[in-house]
Amino acid sequence: MIHVAALTKRFDDVAAVDEVSFDVAAGEVFGLLGPNGAGKTTTLRILATLLRADAGEAIVAGFDVAREPESVRRTIGVVNGGMGLYDRLTGREILHYFGRMYDLSRQAIERRIAELDDLLTLGDALSKRAGTFSTGMKQKVVIARAVLHDPRVIFFDEVTSGLDVMARRAVLDVVKAYPSAERAVVYSTHVMSEVEELCDRAAVLYRGRLVADGTVAELIADGGEDSLERSFFALVERSGLASANGAAVAA
Amino acid sequence: MVGRIAAKEILSTLRDTRAIVSNLLIPLLLLPVIMLGLPFLLGGLFQREATTVTPLGVTGLEHAPHELVALIEGQNAVLESVDDPEAAVRDDTYPAAIAIPEGLAAALAAGESAAVTVYRKVGNLRSELNAGKLESAVAGYRQQVVAERLAAAGIDPSVLEPLRVVTRDASTEAERSSGQLAWLIPFFIAIWTLTGGQMAAIDATAGEKERGTLEVLLVAPVRRVEVVVGKFLATTLFGLWAAVMAIVGFVVGGLLLRGAFLPGLDAGAAEMVSVMGGQLSVTPTMVVLLVVSAVLLASLISALLISVTLFARSFKEAQSYVAPLSFLLILPAISLQFRDLIGGGDALYWVPMLNAMVLMDDVVKGAATTQGIAITWLSLSVAVMALLAFAHRSFLREDVLFRT
Repeated sequence: MIHVAALTKRFDDVAAVDEVSFDVAAGEVFGLLGPNGAGKTTTLRILATLLRADAGEAIVAGFDVAREPESVRRTIGVVNGGMGLYDRLTGREILHYFGRMYDLSRQAIERRIAELDDLLTLGDALSKRAGTFSTGMKQKVVIARAVLHDPRVIFFDEVTSGLDVMARRAVLDVVKAYPSAERAVVYSTHVMSEVEELCDRAAVLYRGRLVADGTVAELIADGGEDSLERSFFALVERSGLASANGAAVAA
Repeated sequence: MVGRIAAKEILSTLRDTRAIVSNLLIPLLLLPVIMLGLPFLLGGLFQREATTVTPLGVTGLEHAPHELVALIEGQNAVLESVDDPEAAVRDDTYPAAIAIPEGLAAALAAGESAAVTVYRKVGNLRSELNAGKLESAVAGYRQQVVAERLAAAGIDPSVLEPLRVVTRDASTEAERSSGQLAWLIPFFIAIWTLTGGQMAAIDATAGEKERGTLEVLLVAPVRRVEVVVGKFLATTLFGLWAAVMAIVGFVVGGLLLRGAFLPGLDAGAAEMVSVMGGQLSVTPTMVVLLVVSAVLLASLISALLISVTLFARSFKEAQSYVAPLSFLLILPAISLQFRDLIGGGDALYWVPMLNAMVLMDDVVKGAATTQGIAITWLSLSVAVMALLAFAHRSFLREDVLFRT
């Protein structure tokens, strides 16, 4: 579903993403695990066609992100931690606005809203303006917006930051349920337990480089420790990218 | 897609009640208030000062010829004796005062020359008006004395005026009726276009960045040019709304002034109102020319706003970028007052922003030419397209969209 090869992106002299390669198959939840500044968001932005890579290749759902950005956009959904919504529009108006961009008819959007209401319990969020939403309510509408057009690939970027336990659980359930034979999820996070719970496979990113990838069991084994968290530090340490003062530990 | 983006921006902005009131409704009220209020305030003040019997200071009242006193009283003034006329005016006891020298009547009777002193505060309008009453009375009395002396000598008074100057106002009816406040009209239209457009522009650019919605919009299957044009249209609409409100205010203010209030004033006050712009007449052609010019000016300002505010990371930062833009409008508006001295001819019509104001000033004064209209509209259209192209390029730049 996703093929990434030697993907590189530099900002001035800093390599935010440095020759990163990985593949994601249909039906998978693929994790991007790493601390802040590891290159997770930049990688997702390239895959979502928001940024252009300086080198390398990225194919999403069969479309080249550099050459066919519009086709890529039709097949993806993006949920980020910013929870950006139009404060003066209701949840329903927001969903209609974005649904029309994907050429969905009004009737199709309404049908989809009903389905998503069942799945996410959108409730009052549909009729209230987004400026009045609780954090959890916002996140539900953000997810509904991202999956409204039934994208083949969906990117989640640090989506549980700041959520209470109930809202977090609802988000994790959606992520778990989304993949199918035709769909895949890329889940970016720095929270080890979420990777353990959700991801079929994951890539460990650190300072723009891919340090390791594989199933959670494989990553733990590669690190030679008894937990993903301990193995993460071991893998980073072994890569030689961690600074002497233990930047990886700070993550 | 452009229409959907524009519609969303319009709906979102319309629901910002405070911004709507301050940016769109106030223009509707402000211009009539200025159109009606300022001329009437000044006209009313002049009328009151002219008709009210005002006490004025005097020293040497006992030396004043009774004809002079009668003439001063005929100016709606009453003289009250003071010890020090200069101090009386300085400390605002009286708005003006006059000093009559001892022996004035005797000197005049002997055919000699004498002087009276009028005290006033230069720059103080009330003092100037009342000093004017005294000077007018003295001038009247001087004419009487001169006429008496010439008659006594058997000389025709016209000998003192071998050459007279006759002036004729060569300006057109529209130029005369546009008054001294005419330059304010294009200024207000431009300022309200900027004010009305900026709330939509900032919300649609920096506001989208700050909320995190721009990124979401750009990963939807919509081309950047559609995003730019959609936001531009919404911004222009709000800019235009404010400008149209200003024009409506101008029209309503002019009609009210002409139809309802002007006939109620006395001749002096009506003339003052007239000079200040109280007899502005607006024809349908003028309205069309003003509206088309306002549309192009609004488009230019909107394109500029979108181009500039996109560089900001937040609402607050965008507002700081927009503030200096008002100078781009204020400077041409001020220069309009000195247009006759600046010259420049048709070259002014090629300068975007300035040309719109010059043309609107022409329209109000009934002096717009086909060439001036054509050059202005062409120049504005080219400038709008150039700015939109720049905005589109900015929407493609990662360093602009994801500036941190």
